[in-house]
Amino acid sequence: MNNIDFGIDLGTTNSGIGKFQNGKVQVFKNPVGFKETLPSVVAYRNDRILIGDKAREFIKTQPNHVFSSFKRKMGSDFVYQLPHMDEQKTPIDFSTLILKELMNFTADERPKAAVITIPASFDTIQSNATKTAGYNAGLKEVVLLQEPIAACLAYANTQNLDINEQKKWLVYDFGGGTFDVALVKINDRELKIIDHEGNNFLGGVDIDQLMVEQLFCPQLEKILGEDGLWKRMVGSEDLAYQKMFMELAYKAEEAKKELSINEESFVEMEISGDFIEMKVTRQQFNDLIKPKVDETIKLTQSLLEKNQISNQEIDRIILVGGTTYIPYIKKSLADTFHCYVDNTIDPTTAIIVGAAYFAGTKAVEEKAQNEEVSVPEITQLKEVKLVYEINSQDNEELLTGLVAGEFSGYYRITRLDGGFDTGMMPFHTRFNEFLKLLPKSINYFNVKIFDKLQHLVFEKGQVAINHGVYNISGQPLPNDICIEVDDTVGSTFLEKIFKKNEILPLSKTVYKTISKTILKGTDDQLIINVVEGNAATSPASNLCIGYLEIAASKLSANLLKGTDIELKFEISESRDLTISLFIDAIGLELEEVFNASARNVSLEKIKTELNNALNQIDWEIEDFSYKGLDDVMEQLNVIRMEIIELMRELIEAEDDLVTDKIFNIDERKRKVFQAFDQQVRGKNLLEEIEEYQLYKQQIKEELLLHPNPKIDRMFQIIIKNEQVFLNSDQISVVRSKIKELKRLARELYYQHDEAYIDLFYDYAHLSVTDYENETQAKKLISKGEDAVEKRNFQELKSIISSLYNLLKVKPKDYLEDQNGTLGLR
Amino acid sequence: MKNIINQLFEIEAKLNGDIAKSVQRNFERLYHELQRMGYKVVNPLGQKYDERDISIEANVLTNSNNAKIVKVLKPAIYQKIDETYTLVQKAIVIAE
Repeated sequence: MNNIDFGIDLGTTNSGIGKFQNGKVQVFKNPVGFKETLPSVVAYRNDRILIGDKAREFIKTQPNHVFSSFKRKMGSDFVYQLPHMDEQKTPIDFSTLILKELMNFTADERPKAAVITIPASFDTIQSNATKTAGYNAGLKEVVLLQEPIAACLAYANTQNLDINEQKKWLVYDFGGGTFDVALVKINDRELKIIDHEGNNFLGGVDIDQLMVEQLFCPQLEKILGEDGLWKRMVGSEDLAYQKMFMELAYKAEEAKKELSINEESFVEMEISGDFIEMKVTRQQFNDLIKPKVDETIKLTQSLLEKNQISNQEIDRIILVGGTTYIPYIKKSLADTFHCYVDNTIDPTTAIIVGAAYFAGTKAVEEKAQNEEVSVPEITQLKEVKLVYEINSQDNEELLTGLVAGEFSGYYRITRLDGGFDTGMMPFHTRFNEFLKLLPKSINYFNVKIFDKLQHLVFEKGQVAINHGVYNISGQPLPNDICIEVDDTVGSTFLEKIFKKNEILPLSKTVYKTISKTILKGTDDQLIINVVEGNAATSPASNLCIGYLEIAASKLSANLLKGTDIELKFEISESRDLTISLFIDAIGLELEEVFNASARNVSLEKIKTELNNALNQIDWEIEDFSYKGLDDVMEQLNVIRMEIIELMRELIEAEDDLVTDKIFNIDERKRKVFQAFDQQVRGKNLLEEIEEYQLYKQQIKEELLLHPNPKIDRMFQIIIKNEQVFLNSDQISVVRSKIKELKRLARELYYQHDEAYIDLFYDYAHLSVTDYENETQAKKLISKGEDAVEKRNFQELKSIISSLYNLLKVKPKDYLEDQNGTLGLR
Repeated sequence: MKNIINQLFEIEAKLNGDIAKSVQRNFERLYHELQRMGYKVVNPLGQKYDERDISIEANVLTNSNNAKIVKVLKPAIYQKIDETYTLVQKAIVIAE
């Protein structure tokens, strides 16, 4: 047998829904806006039915379009007239809408039965009206539960309280708009409300307004030299004052929250371009709310008196409602009633949680379980056509829905990131809606169609519209566009700026750092090299489409390693590349446009690339020869000869300013580098990955034997996103990771004192002539040997440090990040 | 992170008006870094008030159909989780 499991708090101001599962309660979030509570407000605006937060926004400007606090009228024959429509609604109708909206929160599993909470004050007619709303919303079974009981259940269950003797609890519920207090008898886990008290017009909203009136207005009046500010804000038609009131009310709410944690809060207001700061202390705030809190205490005392119960008989007071976050309330209650005041669970969702706990213990009635069979099936729409553009550059994109045949009902479209909701919109056969798009991202929408009775008859999720990611009219990039950057091991690699197949025009800003110190006035330079090709291959094998050399002689100041550099790349539809560069530290700003028809070739750069390639190919030939791979070796020899030939031709072309020989060399260089890349890249990448795995394994084992949380944390950071960098095809990236692992392995090695013995002997075995003072070095070595014998590691470390300082040439740290060649990292 | 973004937004708002180009670059950089960390910050200032836009919590001062957002007290913040954005903070705005 199934349990009801779903619990609903159908509140006067806010509502919510939760579900009991696996011994816990999950409070559902609104799929639009992702809040756990839904304001119990309905608005009718331009045919649109808005429910919740959006509906509340019209309370001030269009009060006759907005319906709230209808819970207070439940069970009465009161009817509401809808604006511009010949239609009336009852409090039950509005409650039904709220319940239906809440049932949307649960996504996959729609509740068939639910526990709905009601105030302790509800009589039979009001209770039955709530049940009717539940049934109208589609529930087959509705179980009612009094709100204070739900609150007690939430506290008792979350804290696992064992109650063996009879106790009396007070449930103190101070919400946004109402105050209720209930006296509850609890016995062997049975709960019963003895009596209750309340005020329907006392809540947190009053406190925010009091703060504006009594704390902020007097301060502002002094600063602005203006009297009667409060009256102007609430009574005048002047928009400037109304705006000021809105802002102050919001800031009052924020300050109220801050004062629950801090002793003071600062509120800032911008008035005519000036920023005015106002200070509010917790003491001021407490003095302000004291009369309100006293009022609630008086009601609580009167509840106890009329039931002839003394303060001592109260075991605990349970706090419910958002206003009880205020620490002063808890303190005042504890001081007055001298009992434990419990605020251990979230007071805004306590009723939902309690209702769901109760639902988790109530079995669904057989009738409700079998209802599916007897209920006439709702006919689902089969032929619905949705027409929309998949790609858009506009802020809104039109979606048209067409239903085959005659159909009248409602549609509702929501964006899955939670930022857009059309509300319920009536339509006949066809609808058009401009969907608001989140810029530069893929927007997913959910389209729902309901029949006249608001039963869901069609749903399509994941309607995707790309904004700004692609431009449908442009041409795609044939290759990756990359920037050449330095790695930490002395070579360079390509970093993608734009991916192959992205649609022109394109624009992107990247932030890099300077990888070597460039002293002004020297021969050094900073190189920006933008290439077109395959990001996974070597930089020199790609086509250079933008090349900038910033000579040190032209710098206004030294460019220090680590300085930030901002680079903006733009490619027009006609493939012109614009590079904008900005270095804040030295105030350097320049922009250059590279035309697609003009090639950018640097003789010096080609020379360096050919030299580097020659060094590398010699080493590769040796490696393949050692492995006995004669075929590859032969091909590499051919490549080697071509490189040497290119170097020769390059020397010849040095003074050639007329012919396009240099472009011919550049073209052939790229071809030969591509061939070289093809022969060795796969092998080298594999070797690097193997080395990476080896170090990773070593460190893992060492950490298992000698756990070190600090190093473990660093290790996890290095190997994070391993799948991405190991599959990047970028040798340099893998190499940099290996280096980081090596550094970590070294750090692990020096965790053991014994490691310093080896280090000492490294220094001891050096020639004494390597030290600035030979006698002192000899003395230190002798002392070191003593320390080794006595295993005095403290002494040994100090001797090693002295020997290091005495060295004429300090040993180079081979794991240190190397300076870049281009100057960009 | 939301609190940090809100502070950043406030500082930017305070500097607005006579904000120097170089300072604006710093903000662009900060927002760029935030985006790399998965946060998209949307400032709806100047947009037409749209009752369908759930990413804003508006205090509407007029019942005109052409209300505009004239003040933004907090920006809307989206966070990228598993390659899709989710609204994590609604913008607090005044529309008139």
